[in-house]
Amino acid sequence: MDHREAAARLYREYGPAVYRRCLRLLRDRDAAQDATQEVFVKLVQNMARLEGRGDALPWIYRVATNHCLNVSRNRGRHAEAELTPDLGSGSRPDVEVIHDRRLAHELLSRFDEGTQAVAVGILVDGMERDEVAATLGISRRTVSRKLGRFLAHTRKFLGRDET
Amino acid sequence: MTRGCPSDLRLEAHLLDARASGLTAHLEGCAGCQARLHRMEAEGEHFRRFVFPATVDAVVDAARPARRTSWFAAFVPAAAVAGAGLLVFLSPAPPADYVGLKGDALGLTVFVGAPEGARAVADGASIPAASALRFQIRSSTPCRLWIVSVDAAGQVSRLYPPWGDEGAEVESARPLPGGAVLDGRPGPERVFAVCTAQPLSLHDLEAAGRAVASGGGDGVRRARQLDGLPDGALQASLLLEKVD
Repeated sequence: MDHREAAARLYREYGPAVYRRCLRLLRDRDAAQDATQEVFVKLVQNMARLEGRGDALPWIYRVATNHCLNVSRNRGRHAEAELTPDLGSGSRPDVEVIHDRRLAHELLSRFDEGTQAVAVGILVDGMERDEVAATLGISRRTVSRKLGRFLAHTRKFLGRDET
Repeated sequence: MTRGCPSDLRLEAHLLDARASGLTAHLEGCAGCQARLHRMEAEGEHFRRFVFPATVDAVVDAARPARRTSWFAAFVPAAAVAGAGLLVFLSPAPPADYVGLKGDALGLTVFVGAPEGARAVADGASIPAASALRFQIRSSTPCRLWIVSVDAAGQVSRLYPPWGDEGAEVESARPLPGGAVLDGRPGPERVFAVCTAQPLSLHDLEAAGRAVASGGGDGVRRARQLDGLPDGALQASLLLEKVD
């Protein structure tokens, strides 16, 4: 199978997952289409990194998540109401619900890419910490640390730090 | 999503390999997750029909060092010209036996992706069942366009425009953005282009398409146009024989 065939097969197999991921994060079909294409252009330019992976989905999912968070961050004001509708919609009792979407986006933008991915994975996607760790290629401890940092800064930013 | 429900990532893994996901028991008893899966499948279908054909060339081109003149790229300059209001009819020209153009008022050209580039297909042509399609339309008057397809199983698929419920405004001749990918099932599938002066709902169009499909494969092959559409509706159609 040559590179073109391999790329087409990869895109056909994993494209729907990336498109859905981008659609969920960007809340815009055109933007999700563009982002999906951009993600796969990146992926197929580094096909060697996919070879030998038993399960490519988590890695592809991570690339898509990081890319779409970057796109969202770069979209400025237009993204403010688009990235965050689900932020805080999870039912976890230890998570403060953030109602103000613009504020939530501003909060996210204050953190590095990795912390954003952790916060979105747990607070938006409802992923377990082990799952986020596996997806992002970091330890569970790092996930907990980044999440704790995100929540602490968020509470402080919101003026709810009671310590 | 409630506590205990799988994440989107685990549902994605389920969609790729349901037997290996270990989620079947949960999904059978969770209406919320069933709804999530249904939505994901619908979004996946949208990707397969519209996003993939519109973007695959750019992705595939990125996988090799030397770029070729891609099918997608070949459409871009013409699209830009058409967008500027000039009347063009995109090459490659239809083949000599091309009969997809019906009447003087509305013309439909269907292009099928192939390794050597896109080629226009003739009415009744046999093509791979999972072919990627693109379309070009020529209209003598401004109108609102729908392109749908009907197969022998009764499936009516919207091919263009991908969104909205009133059809897309078109003028003169233009290649259409995006495209569609056939479902991979062998058998006849007829593509209908319908253009009307007033908006026509997709619901009405689907009803007309189902009437065609009620005749099975032979009905799809015979039906050159959809019945029951508003007076003055312009139509063109082209039959594709999907083969393994």
